[in-house]
Amino acid sequence: MQIRIKCGCGAESCREWAIIELQGFVEVQPSFQDRLQNLVIGELCRPSSQESYTFTVGYHELTGSKVPLKKPLLVLKKVKCMDVDQSCEGSSAGTDLEVVGIIRHRILFNTRPQALISKP
Amino acid sequence: MEQQHSGCRDAEAVLNLQQNSSISIAYHPLFGPNDDLILLELDEKLLSDVLYQRVSLRGQPDEDAVLCTQSKTFAIKFVGTSNSVFLIPPSDHSSFCEIADDCSGKNRNQQSIASVIKVAPGNMELVEVAPRIDKLKLLLSENPYSSEEALEFEDLEEMEKSKAGLYTWNDLVDKVQASDDELRSGLWALSAVELGGYWRIVDERYMGTVLAMLLHNSVLNDWSLDALIEDEVVNVLVSDGFPPILASHCLRVYGSKVDENRSKSCLWKLDEKRVCVHFAREILSSGRRKMESFMEEWQRKIPEGMQASFEILEGEVLTERLGVDLWIRAFSVSSLPANPAERFSILFGERPKWEWKDLQPYIRDLKVPGQSLEGLLLKYTRRTQPTLDAEPVYSAR
Repeated sequence: MQIRIKCGCGAESCREWAIIELQGFVEVQPSFQDRLQNLVIGELCRPSSQESYTFTVGYHELTGSKVPLKKPLLVLKKVKCMDVDQSCEGSSAGTDLEVVGIIRHRILFNTRPQALISKP
Repeated sequence: MEQQHSGCRDAEAVLNLQQNSSISIAYHPLFGPNDDLILLELDEKLLSDVLYQRVSLRGQPDEDAVLCTQSKTFAIKFVGTSNSVFLIPPSDHSSFCEIADDCSGKNRNQQSIASVIKVAPGNMELVEVAPRIDKLKLLLSENPYSSEEALEFEDLEEMEKSKAGLYTWNDLVDKVQASDDELRSGLWALSAVELGGYWRIVDERYMGTVLAMLLHNSVLNDWSLDALIEDEVVNVLVSDGFPPILASHCLRVYGSKVDENRSKSCLWKLDEKRVCVHFAREILSSGRRKMESFMEEWQRKIPEGMQASFEILEGEVLTERLGVDLWIRAFSVSSLPANPAERFSILFGERPKWEWKDLQPYIRDLKVPGQSLEGLLLKYTRRTQPTLDAEPVYSAR
């Protein structure tokens, strides 16, 4: 079978998505485990004009920088095909992939976090 | 910062963060595994193919999917990461925009917020591969077009739609993991022809009958084999009872176009090599032959004006000495799989040891992206050379 990769955004105006990448995990306190939605993870800050960033999560601060990706990443989204939609012909799977964005940069924090204060 | 932003969830705000400013990073109202979002890493030069919707994923449910552009095939690999990759969509991304609205209300303090929709466990990566074209031969061999069928259905339109083992172009695209261009050249290599909407290979004996009749007519009508007029050839063959499509297919299989821009009808020249190889295969189809008797019959069968030189049978026949006699038998490279591992396994099943001059015709067509023929030889064979000036011999690894 054949799954088409579609692009609704038009070749020139593909929206850019962002990546914030850090080593390890961000752990949520158990009381918030079930309601992550809208919960603030931390504060991203650009203290100077250099491409240097800090990311403050809880009592920890990470230092990192904005780096271009060697190869772009496309963000694809699986979309269910409507039967009536003639553009679905040929993809018997009933699913198409749609390009919804492109990623060219990531803000990478690859150092160990520093504690801002010794005790909470 | 600008007011109209009203500080809402967007990737741009993160990417264009000004100096001495900050932005809160939060979980998106729709945060979750969001398995329908996939990251695909790809070469800058493939980007326009994707953005202009020229690529598709191909494969059956039990096969690993491949991504095909117009001319190339890529395997898709998942590369995981142990880092936390927070994915932040642009604010007005259509699927998430209904939520984007209410967040401006919630964040009364006008502070900017960018929202993480998912933590990506990794991304997909593309690796160029050889098309999995062997399946094409398998599919088309299910139901080759033969002389019985030619008699049965004089009108090709009458061919039953429900007949098993028949494939249209779209069926093949669905079933074979190859790009359109690779599929087309695969069909060409198999001398397949589109009959009544289905791609078929034509039984070799039947094709031989058409060719024999063409050659017969060329003598009768005093045609030059270097300048056959398509319309004339087809008309005569049709009056001999062959379907017109197969008559012109015969010219395509055994000849090449000479003059493209003749307004009336195309001019064809029969290809010496292809015609001679055909007759050699025909002779050897009943089994191996002694060299002298083969050569004698071959010379006799070949049309006048053509030269039967033994070199053109490279990759078509094997010779071996048994006692005092030299024997020859059919062993065609076109019958071998395109997959290198399978190819070498069959070759070494045929002969445990190969000299380079014998082996070369059976492997020179192997194409694996990113790997040279030398690389394949290193991977699948063991090379021995008893003395420095001796011919190297290849055996199975």
